[in-house]
Amino acid sequence: MTSETSISDDQPAQMTQDDRFVIHLDEQTSLTCSKDKTLLESLEAQQVDVHYHCREGFCGACRTKLLEGEVEYVTDPLAFIDDDEILPCCCVPVSDLKIRLA
Amino acid sequence: MKYTTFNQQNSNPLAEPMFFGNPVNVARYDQQKHQIFEKLIEKQISFFWRPEEVDVSKDRVDFQKLSDSEKHIFISNLKYQTLLDSVQGRSPNIAFLPIVSLPELETWIETWSFFETIHSRSYTHILRNLFSDPSAVFEDIVLNEEIRRRATDISRYYDDLIFLTQLWQTQGEGMHQVDGVTYPVNLRELKKKLYLCMNSVNALEAIRFYVSFACTFAFAERELMEGNSKIIRLIARDENLHLTSTQHILNLWARGKDDPQMQEIAEECQDEARAIFMNAVEQEKQWAEYLFQHGSMIGLNKDILCQYVEFIANHRMAAIGLDTPFEVKSNPLPWMNNYLNSDNVQVAPQESEISSYLVGQIDSEVSVDDFGDFDL
Ligand code: FES
Ligand SMILES: [Fe+2]
Ligand SMILES: [Fe+2]
Repeated sequence: MTSETSISDDQPAQMTQDDRFVIHLDEQTSLTCSKDKTLLESLEAQQVDVHYHCREGFCGACRTKLLEGEVEYVTDPLAFIDDDEILPCCCVPVSDLKIRLA
Repeated sequence: MKYTTFNQQNSNPLAEPMFFGNPVNVARYDQQKHQIFEKLIEKQISFFWRPEEVDVSKDRVDFQKLSDSEKHIFISNLKYQTLLDSVQGRSPNIAFLPIVSLPELETWIETWSFFETIHSRSYTHILRNLFSDPSAVFEDIVLNEEIRRRATDISRYYDDLIFLTQLWQTQGEGMHQVDGVTYPVNLRELKKKLYLCMNSVNALEAIRFYVSFACTFAFAERELMEGNSKIIRLIARDENLHLTSTQHILNLWARGKDDPQMQEIAEECQDEARAIFMNAVEQEKQWAEYLFQHGSMIGLNKDILCQYVEFIANHRMAAIGLDTPFEVKSNPLPWMNNYLNSDNVQVAPQESEISSYLVGQIDSEVSVDDFGDFDL
């Protein structure tokens, strides 16, 4: 991903490797995201536009379909989401993901 | 069923539906049937703010610089926002509290309405700053044809539900005659009115408000009327929460997670619910026409605003399981997101002067000239 990680070179590489996951947006497009940013921030950092308002999990504007994989919420989501949906603004990936943006 | 302020029948609030079960008795929040409403209350209270904390005094200068067509846009938009919050400051209380059955939902409704009254008070704060006497603006809200048309549609569903509830609570089920009109009153009919009303509230909170926000923030994009925009950002953060609550209520019904009869009604009335949304979209487009009748402003015109209405409507309709009827795929007003972002809205005392302090400041700034003629 980006080079702004604070882990210095002499630390074991797999420490960051474990926290990186591949996010598939469709058949052609995939990118890598880490656990230290919300999914929304990671997508934005890689020029993927996601609709949002609150960025705190309470408005539902960023609702996205999760087709495969698992995320973890860093903020308790208050907006309504279906069983197969996630709120990228307040979650991080904990596995590789297949998502479909609105 | 007669309303009682403290239902002495021992009911189990965990087994009650959201509405039309037993009236609430003990206001307890240690256990909740639908936890989400307790969370919304907490969140909403954490947002507490006062309009007076936002300094709007610089807007007065900006306002004088606006062209006549821009003044028309700005003031009409404020009138519309005032109307919407006038309705929302009272109606959820009057319509929903007499029929609610869960303590956490009852308190959410009260908390929600209370914040709408903060919104109403902030329009007075804004207008007082712009005009030494804002009466003409307020008075026009009841006289202006364009605004009245909207008011009729917004209040209609509330009024229907309130009236039928009153008949039911005073006379029970049956055919009741009032002023020569016969009304069939039964639980299913009441629940239908409730369902439609909730959809109309959802459309108000989810679409109508956002159209007005777009107008406000279009001025702020040009660094104009920024005090006003700061207030509207605080309002928008609250509205995000309100729209989430009505989406939850509608989805709990539709998914059979509350009252099975409401699930049936949701299916049966889906077309009507959809029509409420489509109607709101249509009205907002007509409103855009009225706003820009004397000319557009930089960054916003009738067509872009209409596209934004469609874009937002698609999102909001999808959220409650409806189709997305409009073509527009990407956000025609991408800068809107920045203004709706809750990170940016904290009222930071160090950056925006608190206006109550400001009054003191002005009083204490006495220049030497003031004493010019003062001889000792
Ligand atoms: S942006 Fe509001 S829930 Fe994600
Ligand atoms: Fe409001
Ligand atoms: Fe609201």
